[in-house]
Amino acid sequence: MSNSATVSTKTWAGGRSPFNVSYGKLMMWVFLLSDAFTFSSLLVGYGAIRFSYSGSATPWPEPSTVFNHFPFAHGINLPLLFVSLMTFILIFSSVTMVLAVEAGHRNSKAEVAKYMVYTILGGAAFLSCQAWEWTQFIHEGGRLDSNLFNFTNEAKIKADHLKLFDHVHWELADKQPGPVPFASLFFIVTGFHGFHVLSGVVINIVIWLNVVRGTYERRGHYEMVEKVGLYWHFVDLVWVFVFTFYYLI
Amino acid sequence: MSNEQNNPLSGEYIPETFIPHTESHGTKKLWRTFWILSFITIIDFVIYFTFGPSMARNITFVAIGIVKAILIVGIFMHLGDEAKFLRWMIVLPAAIFLSYLAWLLLLEGSFVSTY
Repeated sequence: MSNSATVSTKTWAGGRSPFNVSYGKLMMWVFLLSDAFTFSSLLVGYGAIRFSYSGSATPWPEPSTVFNHFPFAHGINLPLLFVSLMTFILIFSSVTMVLAVEAGHRNSKAEVAKYMVYTILGGAAFLSCQAWEWTQFIHEGGRLDSNLFNFTNEAKIKADHLKLFDHVHWELADKQPGPVPFASLFFIVTGFHGFHVLSGVVINIVIWLNVVRGTYERRGHYEMVEKVGLYWHFVDLVWVFVFTFYYLI
Repeated sequence: MSNEQNNPLSGEYIPETFIPHTESHGTKKLWRTFWILSFITIIDFVIYFTFGPSMARNITFVAIGIVKAILIVGIFMHLGDEAKFLRWMIVLPAAIFLSYLAWLLLLEGSFVSTY
């Protein structure tokens, strides 16, 4: 290093990054921190509004009575199964992303490209699942400004005791307007997360094209793959909490 | 391979373009994290169907969510391998602000329905 004389060993003495990280990666972390605040505000807002419906005449619906569908299994009560599948898809695309980053550390262009393709496919699969879930929810009466899910405790107990294939009949009956924020917040929060996934897929495709064209091979390092990887893992991280607060609790 | 760039005109070293040299630590740890995350999600699933809705169950779900977050941020996002100052710069604001928000929600949230 030609500049070794000017570089101090002290962290904050200047001449080098105190965080031992490139400018771009540091800024990606700062962006993700701010994005984490945005998402947590949305989730806390959801919690506060859900709190306000406790003891109300129109109770907040049990998520398990609303999101209980699975493709090709119409009329069967399968709560949580589809979102768990979506969670697995996202975890899997996260591991292929980190494998692409690891291959980038070894400057293995072919492997980076391969794992980037797996990640893009995983993201596309997740988006397709979300599109299906939204279609189902809208079909049953969920709107941004209205909500047909109003489950009293009686209806809930009745639903729990229904035989497997009778669920579809119960689903079509007893529909009454319920808390509007239940539906609107579902669209806002999962929509905001889904938009992040969509942007992640688009950015991943751009980076994948650069990998294939040899841009990073010429540059000598695959740090762009690391940066887009940080964003992609963040999307997975947010889903962990959307999954927890929207479907589990 | 030099990752640092110098100013093309003056030849000076530019700290902003510094890219630290990275090394691969193998894929074993990454796959292990993947299996742990999958297993924890299955535990979520099992708890959901074994126990009825209760405060203890909600706390368990949030605790499991935090464990997943630590695994994703620490290992997948490599924050555990980053420099000490970067680690704290990310973790401290997030931890302080998020716990403050959660505390406010738990403290004030139940008042909303009573007035």
